[in-house]
Amino acid sequence: MKQVLPPRSTFVNFPLGRECGKPHDVELQTRILKETLELLTTEKEPGLIKDLPYEWHETFNWPGYLKDIQEMVEEEGSEMQEWKPKNNQ
Amino acid sequence: MKPVNYKDGLDQMYQSQGFPPYKWSVFDSSPWAPFDKHLDQASIGLISSAGIFRDDQEPFDPWAVNDLSFRQIPIDTPFERLRLHHNYFDHRDALKDFNCVFPVHRLKELEKEGFIGHFIPTALTLSMGRLYKRTELQKETVPQMVKIMRDKGADAVLLVAA
Repeated sequence: MKQVLPPRSTFVNFPLGRECGKPHDVELQTRILKETLELLTTEKEPGLIKDLPYEWHETFNWPGYLKDIQEMVEEEGSEMQEWKPKNNQ
Repeated sequence: MKPVNYKDGLDQMYQSQGFPPYKWSVFDSSPWAPFDKHLDQASIGLISSAGIFRDDQEPFDPWAVNDLSFRQIPIDTPFERLRLHHNYFDHRDALKDFNCVFPVHRLKELEKEGFIGHFIPTALTLSMGRLYKRTELQKETVPQMVKIMRDKGADAVLLVAA
């Protein structure tokens, strides 16, 4: 995110796919959205990435990310595909 | 817990296969449009890159590369009619509750409680996994999406980078 420099953004340190909160956790999802939307009125210059204080209930890492995708694909009866770059621009 | 460094992980994965280093986008400035309204009078639009589409729309390819298309989804679409095709993140929680990556219910509630003035009735979705055609994305896809949001009266857009 720091390389992309969005004008106003929040970061939630959850695994990918839960950017707006945990499933069915209405209160948490609402807080994340409110704290993000509020940046529209509080920030007067670009580039802030506000870290929100919410923590995932277990640790997660890069190998786990790949493993979760593999597990998900197998559960859904699909096949993993190779991740190879194409038309790198 | 330190955030996961997906960029380094991807770099290592591709370079271990013999590919040259990927030229990640790096910007040294940030675009800025001043926002002078009160939130409770503002119209907010939603864009999500979680690969969501409706059952009557062209599906996204779950392993898409350079799919620069996007979908327009009425925010009142029942969740049973939504589909998610995006295999570059673990989407199992999103399938339990689309609000994890497409928070339409929450934004409707925020509109009802007056936190925001108006929730634009059409949301946009795209499938951001593995888009390498960055110039085309910036010069063609994004202006189309911005125009739709502007035409619908959005004062600001929430982008969920799923």
